[in-house]
Amino acid sequence: MNRLIRDTVVVAQKELKQLSRDPLSLALTVMFPILLISIFIVISSAFGNPNIVPIVIADLDGSGESKILIDKIASTELVRIAQLVQTEEKALAVVESGEVIGSLVIPAGFGNRLLNAQEAFVVVQTDNTKIMASMNIIRAVTEQKQELLDDLMEQYGLRTASVEIVSRPISGRPPTGDFILPGQLGMIIILGAFDDAVNAMTRERERGTFPRLALTPMNIFSIYSGKMVSTLVINALRTTFMLIIFVGNGLVIQGNIALIYVTTSLIAMFTLSFGLLISSRVRSSATLTILEIAITFPLFQLAGAFSAPEVLAPAGRAISRSLPWTYGIEALRRIMYLGLGLEGIAGNLAILLISTMILLPIATLLSKRTI
Amino acid sequence: MFNEFRILRRNRSAILISLVVIPFFFTASLGAGRGGEGETYSATSELPIAFIDEDLSEASGRLYESLVRSEDFNMLLQGYREEDALATLGKGGLYAAIVVPEGFEKRLLNNETGIIIVHVDDGSPGVDDAVLSNIDASLSNFNPNPRIKQTGNIEFVGVEIVMKGASFSGFAVGLTITLTMVVVFATFYEIAGGMSRERETGTYSHLLVSPVSLGSIMIGKTLYDVCLNVMRTFIVLGLAIYVYGASIHANLLSLVLSVLFIAILTMGFGFLVSSFGIGVRAVVIIEFFLILFLFAFSGFFIDKELLRGISQTIATVLPWSYGIDILKRTTLIGQPLMSLTYQLQIIAISIILFYGVAYLLLKLSRERLVK
Repeated sequence: MNRLIRDTVVVAQKELKQLSRDPLSLALTVMFPILLISIFIVISSAFGNPNIVPIVIADLDGSGESKILIDKIASTELVRIAQLVQTEEKALAVVESGEVIGSLVIPAGFGNRLLNAQEAFVVVQTDNTKIMASMNIIRAVTEQKQELLDDLMEQYGLRTASVEIVSRPISGRPPTGDFILPGQLGMIIILGAFDDAVNAMTRERERGTFPRLALTPMNIFSIYSGKMVSTLVINALRTTFMLIIFVGNGLVIQGNIALIYVTTSLIAMFTLSFGLLISSRVRSSATLTILEIAITFPLFQLAGAFSAPEVLAPAGRAISRSLPWTYGIEALRRIMYLGLGLEGIAGNLAILLISTMILLPIATLLSKRTI
Repeated sequence: MFNEFRILRRNRSAILISLVVIPFFFTASLGAGRGGEGETYSATSELPIAFIDEDLSEASGRLYESLVRSEDFNMLLQGYREEDALATLGKGGLYAAIVVPEGFEKRLLNNETGIIIVHVDDGSPGVDDAVLSNIDASLSNFNPNPRIKQTGNIEFVGVEIVMKGASFSGFAVGLTITLTMVVVFATFYEIAGGMSRERETGTYSHLLVSPVSLGSIMIGKTLYDVCLNVMRTFIVLGLAIYVYGASIHANLLSLVLSVLFIAILTMGFGFLVSSFGIGVRAVVIIEFFLILFLFAFSGFFIDKELLRGISQTIATVLPWSYGIDILKRTTLIGQPLMSLTYQLQIIAISIILFYGVAYLLLKLSRERLVK
C-alpha cells in the first residue's frame, strides 16, 4: 500500500514537472480558463443587459391613444424608435431591407375602435432571423399596449378583476445573466481535464515514453493514480482562478467553497477516466483533441451548462440524465447559486464517483492491453 | 486536390471525424435538445410542481382546473404546506410551488387584483421562465370574476397584435447554426490542421519546393475542401430531413452557396493561421476560440444588434457574422442571395484579404526554405 502511494506521488510529481517545463501547456492551463470565462461573461451580460433594438413606427391613426402608445414604447429600455414613417408599405420595406429589426403600424381608427368597445389591433413586423431582438420588440409592444389599456381603464373609472403572478426565486437573487456561470465552470473543468488526459497519455505515447513508463516496476494503477493526482492539483488551480473571476464579477457564492472544490475534482476525475478510455483507442493527440472539442460543444447543451436538462426535448432530457457531467454541473449550481450543503448534492456526487469507479478500471485494462 | 483526397482515403479516422462524427454529433445534439421539426413539447408538463391552496375557495379551484386543463402542468401536486414545499425546492423533488393565498377569491369578487405567489427553482436555469410563462398562458383561460359583469359606458375589449414576417420553427433556426458550426469546425481543422500536420511530418517542405506553384497548392486544397463541404452539407441536411423531419423551403443552390461562402472564408483564415508556422496543438486551440467567438459575437444565439460596446465592435468586424446572416436570410426567409450585396461584399473582401496575406506569408516562408 505504501509503495502504491509512493509511486503515485512520484508520477504526480513527474507530471507537474513536465507541465512546468512546457511553457505553452503551462500558459494554456492558466490562460485558457481565463479567456474562456471572459467570453462567457460577455455572453451572459448580453443576456442580462441587451442593447436597445431600433424599430420604425407608422402612425396611420394620429389619435391621442396612438400617441400615448408611441410615447410608452419610446420610454421602454427594450426598443428605440429610429424613424417615424408615413405608410405601412414604407415600414415593412425598412424591415425587409434589414435597416431595422422591426416595425409597428398603428392603423387608422385605432383610437376610435378602442373607445367604441371594439377590438383594436396593431401590426408588428419583425425580422425573425434575429430571434432575440424580435422577441424584445414583441415584448415591448405587448407590455406597452397593456399599459395603455390599464391607463384608459383608470381614466374612465373602470376596474376589472385580474390575477397577478408574484415570482419568488428561491435563491433570492434578481434575474441576471450569471445563472450560466456555474455551468461554465463545469464545462471549463471538463475541457481542462480532457486536455490533461491528452497530455498525460497520447502525447506520451507519441513520444514513446509511455511503454517505458509502463515497463518500470511501477504498478499501472500507480501510474494512472499519479496522473489523476496531478490533474486534481491543476484542477484545483483552475477552480481557484475561476472563483476569483466570478467573485470579481460580482457573483455571490452562497454555498461552501470546499464543496465546490470537491465537485470540480469529481468532475475532473470522471472526465480524465473518460479521456483515458478514449485515448486507449485513439492514438493521435491531434485526433483526440479535435474529438474532445467535437464532443464538448454538444455537451454545452446536453450537460445542462446553459439551461437545465428539464427544458430540453424528451430525447435530449434522457441523454442529459444519462451523462454523469450533468449531475456535476447541477451540483455546482446548487452549491454556488442556492447554497445547498452536502445533503443536497450527495446524490449527484455519488453518481460522479460511481461512474469514475466504473470507467477508470476499464480504461486501465484497455490501456494495459494496448501498451 | 487529388493528393488531398488520396491522403484522406488512407486516413480512416480523418474521414470518420470529418464526415461522420462532427456532422452527426452537432445535428444529433440539435435534434435531442430542441426536438425534431414540428415536435412540440411542454417543458413543464412532467415536472412536479406543488399547488398550495390556502384560500380553498371556488376561485382557487377554478384556477387549479385552468392549470390542469392547459396540459402544461400534468404533475400538479396538492397537499404540500408552503414551508415543506420550500424545503424541497432546489433538491429536484419539486421545481416550483404555486401558492394561492387566503383572500384570493375575496379580492377578485371586489374587482381587485388577485395575487398568486410562485416560488421557482432558479437554480435550474430555464425552468423558472418556463413555469412562469406557462402559468401566465394558462391564466388567459381563467375568468377572474364570472359573477360580476362589466358595467359602465365603455368596455375596453383589448388590442390584438397582428404579427407579420416570415415564421419558422426553432429547429430550422438551429439547423442554420448547426450547419455553420459543422462547416467552420471541420474546414478550419482540415486546412490549418492539415498544413500543420504536413509541416510536422516534413511533407510540407517537399510540397513547397516542388515545381507546383504556391497558388496551385492553395487552390487545390481549397477545391478539395469545397468538395468535402458540399458532402458535409448534404449529410447534415440528410440527417435533419430524414431523421428529424426537417423541411427545407429554401432554394438548395442558394443554401449550398451560402454554406460555401462561410467555408471559403474559413479556409482563407485557415491558410492565414497556418502561414505562421504553428503546430497542430496550437491550431486546435485557435479553432476552439474561433468557434467560441462565433458563439458569442456572430449572431448564433445573441443577435449582434443586442450586443454593447466592445462586443458589438467585435461582432461588426467578424466576417463570419455576415456569412451567418446570409445563410439565415437565404435559408429561413428565402431572400435572394444576390440581394444581400452588402454582406456579400464584406465576405468577398475578407476572403481576398485572408488568401492574399496568407499567400504572401507562405511565399516568404517558401523563399526562406529555398535559401
